[in-house]
Amino acid sequence: MNSTKTGSVVVIGGGISGMLSALDLANSGFYVYLVEKGPSIGGVMAQLDKTFPTNDCAM
Amino acid sequence: MSDNEIKIVSFLCNWCSYGAADLAGVSRMEYPADIRVIRIPCTGRMSPKFVLSAFREGADAVWVSG
Amino acid sequence: MPLKYVINPDVCLKLQKDKCGTCADVCPANAIDYTQTEETITLNAGSIVFSPGFKPFDPSRFDNYQYANYPNVVTSMEFERLLSASGPTHGHVMTMPKLPMKPKKKADKALAEKRKDPKKIAWFQCVGSRDMNKCDNAYCSSVCCMYAVKEAIIAKEHDPELEPYIFFMDMRTPGKEFEKYYQNAKEKHGINFVRARVHSVTEDRDTHDLNIRYADEMGQIVDDSFDMVVLSVGLEIPQETRDMAEKLGIDITDHGFCKTDSFEPVTSSRDGVYVSGVFNNPKDIPESVLDASAAASAAGDFLADVRGTMTKAEEKIEETNVIGDPPKIGVFVCDCGSNIAGVVDCPSLTEYAKELPYVEFATETLYACAQDTQDKMVETIKEKGLNRIVVAACTPKTHEPLFQESMVNAGLNKYLFEMTNIRNHNSWVHKNNPEIATEKAKDLVRMAVAKAALAQPLAEEKINVNDTVMVVGGGLAGLTAAKSLATQGYDTHIVEKKDVLGGEALKLYKTAQGEDVGEKMAALVADIEANEKITVHTNTTLEGVEGFVGNFKSKLVSGGNETELEHGVAVLATGAKCSEPTEYCFGDDDRIIKTLDLDKMLKEQDAKLDSVKTAVFIQCVGSREPNRPYCSRVCCTHSIDNAIELKKRNPETDVFILYRDIRTYGERELLYKEARELGVIFIRYEVDRKPEVKVEKDAVKITLIDHVLNQPVEIEADLLTLAAAIEPRKDERLANFFKVPLNDEGFFVEKHAKLGPAEFATDGVFVAGSGHYPKPVNEAATQGRAAASRALTLLAKKDSLFTSGTIATVDQEKCSQCGVCVSICPYNAPGFAADGRFAGTAEINPVLCKGCGLCVASCRSGALHLRGFDTNQIFSQIFALGEVV
Repeated sequence: MNSTKTGSVVVIGGGISGMLSALDLANSGFYVYLVEKGPSIGGVMAQLDKTFPTNDCAM
Repeated sequence: MSDNEIKIVSFLCNWCSYGAADLAGVSRMEYPADIRVIRIPCTGRMSPKFVLSAFREGADAVWVSG
Repeated sequence: MPLKYVINPDVCLKLQKDKCGTCADVCPANAIDYTQTEETITLNAGSIVFSPGFKPFDPSRFDNYQYANYPNVVTSMEFERLLSASGPTHGHVMTMPKLPMKPKKKADKALAEKRKDPKKIAWFQCVGSRDMNKCDNAYCSSVCCMYAVKEAIIAKEHDPELEPYIFFMDMRTPGKEFEKYYQNAKEKHGINFVRARVHSVTEDRDTHDLNIRYADEMGQIVDDSFDMVVLSVGLEIPQETRDMAEKLGIDITDHGFCKTDSFEPVTSSRDGVYVSGVFNNPKDIPESVLDASAAASAAGDFLADVRGTMTKAEEKIEETNVIGDPPKIGVFVCDCGSNIAGVVDCPSLTEYAKELPYVEFATETLYACAQDTQDKMVETIKEKGLNRIVVAACTPKTHEPLFQESMVNAGLNKYLFEMTNIRNHNSWVHKNNPEIATEKAKDLVRMAVAKAALAQPLAEEKINVNDTVMVVGGGLAGLTAAKSLATQGYDTHIVEKKDVLGGEALKLYKTAQGEDVGEKMAALVADIEANEKITVHTNTTLEGVEGFVGNFKSKLVSGGNETELEHGVAVLATGAKCSEPTEYCFGDDDRIIKTLDLDKMLKEQDAKLDSVKTAVFIQCVGSREPNRPYCSRVCCTHSIDNAIELKKRNPETDVFILYRDIRTYGERELLYKEARELGVIFIRYEVDRKPEVKVEKDAVKITLIDHVLNQPVEIEADLLTLAAAIEPRKDERLANFFKVPLNDEGFFVEKHAKLGPAEFATDGVFVAGSGHYPKPVNEAATQGRAAASRALTLLAKKDSLFTSGTIATVDQEKCSQCGVCVSICPYNAPGFAADGRFAGTAEINPVLCKGCGLCVASCRSGALHLRGFDTNQIFSQIFALGEVV
């Protein structure tokens, strides 16, 4: 194996997918940089009212 | 508790109703200030003794929600 | 989210002209810094997860819907904000929402006066999807059918008089519980569904109502009028994402989605770069969540040998022993800027707090949660020797952990903390009654102080985690999960009841992307068998499970031999199976077969296929029916794929697909397009007018009513393939072993439909594959990886996994051994002590206890206590209320 690898990961995009990737990686032993273009994370999901098929609040 | 006000003692489940009361705040809803919230981990925690003692302490109503 | 304000530098007077600066003057937190400029930061990382998301399609370029010109034509995203309580209309749906709520321009004012509550709303599906005429998006966006149904239902909940209409081509609801949602929308909520693509929209110049024209299913032109039209816009990959993909050097499809292998569905064409979310094909939230975890697993596999090299361990601070010390309470009142202080008289609240029993110190803070306040809190605790802390601020649901961290940093047990909510439950909801709000805040603080005085330091039990993994089911999902877990260093056991690994995938011919499933599976099985960390138990069944997260003991039986496997986590990947059709003369004639039989023939290059002149496929055989109300998800793509295969083998073969809705979601839609181009004929049928099949000597005769001609059509086929429903294994025994639920149909119920799709509510148990819901190869592999990633986050915490401190305990001296707690607990936490002085009395397993207090409330002897919410603590709050009567 390549011993020059670094134990950190850059996650690009702070939507629901990027946020959860970052969390899983951080919780399993990697240093994570979460990079988001906008001023806050949350992405499109945070703009939704409810989610199907449970009609749960998206927040 | 002063005499001229109605006082409601509410026992709210941490996982649902307490969060709903938080959300009412986030949504800036307005409601009368007669309520005092006691956070409980689950309505399964409720004992009749809590209801009775709230009445004994002068509550006009007791609300258990979960 | 989080709600933070930023400066738009293009219009900021301070940045543009060095004038104004008001925001810096008024910001009480000194958060404004005009000197910040763009800077370039270089990050060194071992791998990249690319999840750039999508842009909702911009319908301005469609002249027939006039989105840019008509105030009552909106996008689904805009409608979503209209429904939202935090949106511009606070959830009140009204016409002309694109105008400012309080318009300033004269023309806008005139328009705004015509605002009304819409009574008739139309949703137009496939705007910017499945469309090669007006845009180049040939793919299906996968989510619009469901979100339109949802928006229609919610809008109707807001206004029961509303008449919602959804205009669609195919209703695509192939996800878990989606079909029921669609049927309920029709039957219970009264949503109208019209199968038509609307040609054009015109506007009534006076009322701004919208007139639409479309051809109905009979081909008749229909005119109708609506108050509002919602365009169900698709998901699109913007140019900047394509540019970035190019910079990253990863391959994308014509539509800008990432190219991936079906068996490694989150791995891009470049080593070390992984992808997730909509960029990796259009998908909904749970699939994006699965992608997220899968990408974490893939990136983790890639960096397996450097895992843990960059993370730092937290420093442990010695805990001060406060047992026996009289309470010395510190109260911190938060202004929350003006959120609390704007309503509640915080200085007088603070003075009031100082006079309460056991209060040693009270102070007002501008923002209790700010880092500098936290540091100060730690200092104050040490300086004043405080041993209990009360914070009167916002909600403990979001902020309690933060303050508890400061407690720990100050050397105090984190359960010596109490928070009371004077913002969400007070200042925000009584903003017009500052005096009453201040009185209420005093009551709340008094109650919190009374409770805190009784707080005791609580211990969190360490959970020992056995780091062996058991995967139940040796199909694609299980093998994918096992491979990732083993790669990251965990001993993994695969339990498979059959004699070979591979599961149902072994019966498949090709994936939707054309990969040979047999070859790929053989390679995967070879990898598994060569992996030293993996033990394969074939011909083995699971006969019993004991224990809980971190400490399971499973009984495995193989050929009469019983072994016990100790493991910390379990992945349930037991899959699903193809059902046996009970209609269309299945079983009467060998020309009538199931999809998997055709796959077998294709795999084996069966010579019989060469003589097929007319092939017919019937879809939804046993799916979307009253006794099996779900959609089997994979059959549309599978049949179309096989139809293409037949057409390619022999273009002269007539191929018909009889369907109800074609559900080729995402880029699978391109296969549907290809099939039509190759001359495959698609005929739709209604569930109450199903095709009729008759076996005759020369042919299998299929009769159905054509939906366009409204005439009976007769097809003489020499091969009839039935797309039989995928059935769950409905393994109630296995579900019972791990205390995980099955839904009505027999599929496993995940922890959370949106945010926990690869795990169960039972800690330490994970789910992957078609046992969760029918899914194609790439999705099974994704969920396998996702389950592995979720399991890894638990295994990686091996040394830092603790129970909660707020759990039930037994005073065994008082226990009367009645057994009520044992029978009442939904989590099986209480049991009877087996031996010792208190044998026979109740004892609580702290790992299983969720701290609900059910047993405490039901204990007639007063032997049970709920730490953190003990009876005396709750009474103290009630009594604190009574004090001022």
